Amino acid sequence: MVRRIRKVEKDVPETLGKYVYCVIPSPIKERKSFGNIGFDASEVYTMDYRDLSPVVSDVTYRDYAVDEQEVEIHRNVVEQIMREYSVIPVAYGMAFKSKKLLQIAMSAGYQAMQKALPIVDGKVELGVKVFLPKDLEPMNSAQREDCSADFLQSLLAVSSDSKKLKLFSERLIINSTFLVDKSTMDEFSSQVGKLQEKYHEMKVQYSGPWPAYNFVDIHILGGKRRGFR
Amino acid sequence: MFIIDDIILRSIGISLPGLDMIWTLEQIQKFALKGYYNPEKIRDQIKETRLLYEFGELDRQEYEQMNSQLLHKLDVAQKVLEMDLGSRMDILG
Repeated sequence: MVRRIRKVEKDVPETLGKYVYCVIPSPIKERKSFGNIGFDASEVYTMDYRDLSPVVSDVTYRDYAVDEQEVEIHRNVVEQIMREYSVIPVAYGMAFKSKKLLQIAMSAGYQAMQKALPIVDGKVELGVKVFLPKDLEPMNSAQREDCSADFLQSLLAVSSDSKKLKLFSERLIINSTFLVDKSTMDEFSSQVGKLQEKYHEMKVQYSGPWPAYNFVDIHILGGKRRGFR
Repeated sequence: MFIIDDIILRSIGISLPGLDMIWTLEQIQKFALKGYYNPEKIRDQIKETRLLYEFGELDRQEYEQMNSQLLHKLDVAQKVLEMDLGSRMDILG
């Protein structure tokens, strides 16, 4: 279902804004293109801001409502960039009316992004969810805690950090995310495999690699999703 | 909060049974709306539905139908929250 809220501005022509997918450290100063993989097949390329490069595309300025297909475009772009660079993640929907406004936002967030760089450098985020199948006896709280502790202890041993996320369903036993060094991803995956075998009656969802969304929390000039326009 | 207000009003001898009843019904309606149209709860249901689909407990059609209904409900919930249907102007001063 496509849910898109367009700005209704009578007699004002649609303007091209900058949509930001992520920010990467800038080892090279020249503009780098990642191809026409952005919204509406727009070109995704790097801009230059001091020693950082916001990765952007020129798109019609509008609100980005949560839409599965569009979130997938954002995710796909970031995934491609992650293959080559460590990325500072930017929330879905960060569009700016002009280059100037983006530069102001970069300036406001510069120090926070500098602090975030060592956290994300060479690392990825991996998610683990453990779900109780519907035909399985519900677990009591002690059983839930034991299972959760076992997963967390085993996986923390092969990761740098972890975060417990909201248990949004009564059948969800674990919803955690881990910050893992790219070089130890295989070790982490193997540990998840062992736990899957041990708790074979449970449904385990292992996802990623994602940019470190849950370990970097930068809000530029207010507004969690909307940024500065 | 309304209990304290009610006690204070009664302690100074003010009671308008008809209006009290309307006000009480409005508060009950407001709580019911807040419970039903709780955006946080609906977002959780959206995530749960997605997970059920990813684990194969829902097929694509069921998922899309449920997701579409929940997104609509979330949209309404956000509007209800903005409108704050339970509040009204106090014309008695």
